[in-house]
Amino acid sequence: MSQFAEWLSTTSLSVFLQTHNSWAIPTIQSIHIVGIAIVLGSVFMIDLRVLGWAGMDQTLRQTTNRFSPWLTGALWLMLATGILMVIGEPVRELITFSFWLKMFLVAVGTLVAVAFQKSLRKNEQRWEETLVHRGATKWLAVLTFLIWASIIVLGRLIAYDHVWGSWSPATKA
Amino acid sequence: MDIAGILQGLEASRLASTIRDSLLLFPLLESTHVIGLALVFGTIAVIDLRLLGAASSERPFRLMASDILRWTWAAFAVTALTGSLMFITNASVYYHNFYFRSKMLLLVLAGVNMASFELSLGRSVHRWDKAPSAPPMGRAVAVLSLAIWISVIFAGRLIGFTTSRAKQTAPTPADTSLEELFQAAPADSGGKSAAPSQKK
Repeated sequence: MSQFAEWLSTTSLSVFLQTHNSWAIPTIQSIHIVGIAIVLGSVFMIDLRVLGWAGMDQTLRQTTNRFSPWLTGALWLMLATGILMVIGEPVRELITFSFWLKMFLVAVGTLVAVAFQKSLRKNEQRWEETLVHRGATKWLAVLTFLIWASIIVLGRLIAYDHVWGSWSPATKA
Repeated sequence: MDIAGILQGLEASRLASTIRDSLLLFPLLESTHVIGLALVFGTIAVIDLRLLGAASSERPFRLMASDILRWTWAAFAVTALTGSLMFITNASVYYHNFYFRSKMLLLVLAGVNMASFELSLGRSVHRWDKAPSAPPMGRAVAVLSLAIWISVIFAGRLIGFTTSRAKQTAPTPADTSLEELFQAAPADSGGKSAAPSQKK
């Protein structure tokens, strides 16, 4: 991985981002933050509906129809800006524990969202009438919010990977 | 007491040095700040898009506002609290930082924008509550709101970027960059070498 990171840092796009880093990196990072705001905001609105704390004038299906296109769109935006950030600072990103744990949680969070939408489409009536009232569903709503919140924490911790001590590959380098 | 004295007083406070001396507190404050701002922007965008008629246009505006804005305010409180705690760790540097000042100005503008909405359309809301979009004034406020809050996010990121005292992994450009200009200010008394750094 460190060889890959070294190689990536010699590519022309990476060199461009590095030499223009005083504006390029913070601009990409800011777009990435706008993206996570849309992601977390959308997840939050769906979770509030599942928990019965907001949006009760709408069905579950109406709520996910309203927010999941924004969730999907913002996730693509984050993937694009995230890839640019990795290309711009390969070693800082890839040689960290935080980054890989974050990627794992992104995969889990995305899978949960996709599975929920598929299931809702298939068993719409059952979700609206019984499943949404179950305790387990409410806990799942809280858990998905926590997953995305943890993704934000881990994203920030990429810059402080030493907090993981010996788990961080950066401290061994 | 002059402003420099107040800023130094804040930096010298026990709370500020506790945060500075901890390896974990500053990054956790930053993370909580991002979670808070994500919810502030995310929920405000829902309302703004409703005003514009771009989304949720079948829902009554007043219902949505009462449904959502309390979460916005709660998230704003979290963001303001974590922001203040970060500020006191390095108050004089932030105070003189261009992007910090820009951000504070933008927050004031966001408040003025919101107040102008309340004072104008807030009174006539019953007339357009169920309309698919707000009157022109409301749509203008919504566009401004989205623009201001996105700018707040950019300015916030640039504060961290330009006050960073941590080493850059990427080579710095040969010409004098903004971050070098802003880096000059003396830092805290610092305990650890890896003292919490306001960084990217």
